[in-house]
Amino acid sequence: MTPLNPDTTLIALIDRVALADEKALRELYEMTSSKLYGVAVRVVTNREWAEDVLQEAFINIWKIAGDYKATLSPPMAWMALVVRSRGLDFLRRRASDRADRMQELDDVISDTVAGDSPNPMDVAQASEQAVALHNCLSLLENKQREVVSLAYMRDLSHGELAEQLKLPLGTVKTWIRRGLEQLRGCMAKLA
Amino acid sequence: MNLIQNPSLTEQLAASYALGTLRGGARRRFEALARNHAEVRAQALIWQARMSSVAELQPQAAPSPVVWKRIENLVKADKEAKSMQAARAPLKPDAGWWSSLNLWRGLSSMGVGVAAVALMVGVNLNSINARLGGEVQELTAKLSATPEIQYVAVLADDKAAASMLVTFDPKSKRLTLKRVGGFQEASDKSLQLWALPQAGGPKSLGVLGSDAVVKLTAAGNEVNVPTLAISLEPKGGVPAGSGPSGPVLFKGALIETSL
Repeated sequence: MTPLNPDTTLIALIDRVALADEKALRELYEMTSSKLYGVAVRVVTNREWAEDVLQEAFINIWKIAGDYKATLSPPMAWMALVVRSRGLDFLRRRASDRADRMQELDDVISDTVAGDSPNPMDVAQASEQAVALHNCLSLLENKQREVVSLAYMRDLSHGELAEQLKLPLGTVKTWIRRGLEQLRGCMAKLA
Repeated sequence: MNLIQNPSLTEQLAASYALGTLRGGARRRFEALARNHAEVRAQALIWQARMSSVAELQPQAAPSPVVWKRIENLVKADKEAKSMQAARAPLKPDAGWWSSLNLWRGLSSMGVGVAAVALMVGVNLNSINARLGGEVQELTAKLSATPEIQYVAVLADDKAAASMLVTFDPKSKRLTLKRVGGFQEASDKSLQLWALPQAGGPKSLGVLGSDAVVKLTAAGNEVNVPTLAISLEPKGGVPAGSGPSGPVLFKGALIETSL
């Protein structure tokens, strides 16, 4: 018998979670929590908050697992999006604490953008679709890749990115535009 | 619209749309276009799917083991609340009691299915009605005696170990607290339960006896708060009207079960 591909295993677990199977939730958590916690940390930038977000996301997955099938998404992409949404909700709830949010911008990101050091992307457990995107993102300059990734993960506008990264607005706009242009060309070749 | 004749511009806009950096009027115009033109809509969907993979590429990090513990507690509380709800048939006033599937299930599980009644009694409709009326009455009485759990909270200590399971039944105004951890206060101390409203100070919901299960009475509006907490107080609790004087031992979010 051929080993199951990870997507098949995850999909089967999500199906069981939809039937309120707690053991399946536990297995799903064991297989995905490190990856999904990474997503949460990236969105909210604070490890303690990220734990709250991960918890909310799994309770959410417990409740909406039945909706997964209809999305046609790779399972990890779907779960990562649930985490991202819960993370963005979390940031919105704290939006009155703007100073807080600004100050929490982690050093890794400022370093990546300032010094152009590579930011690790992680293809472990990533879907085929994500591997393709990864290959194209790897062709971008580090700082371009970083602003694209940050814009998406934290749902930030050009203005907010410029403010958080302490960069001129024009620079952010240019990086994003060029980043997307290159990504478009690269993905077109793969498709 | 010239955008349609310019596939690379369409794609660039679709990518910015999916990334989230297309904002304001430009975003609204793009959305309107996507609603009217399938090819624009397709590009938007393709790029949304591609961008969703950005989330998959984030580096991993290990969460603290307490996170799973917290999830497990919440899931248990959720399941418990659901099975309590399933125990009572939802008598929704708008739907009428006869449309309730659970009611019919309840009737048949009471021994005599409606079909069986019809068969046995034949055409005597009056008899069926009389019989049904009696069963409905009995069932209604039974249902109103079943507790309706509207709120659940798992109160945990600072290490996130669950210590107290709290449920609230607004119908009987009854708060039930079940000790689930090993904590036992000293004989000269009492545990006191507090509602922590969004605004204003903590409001006492009562002092706990030393039994494993404690029942307190509270009005729904007193319990309609985001968080409950338990503090360690001198025997008998603090004087009425004052706030907690001792340390907060357990705390947890109150979850409405009818979500």
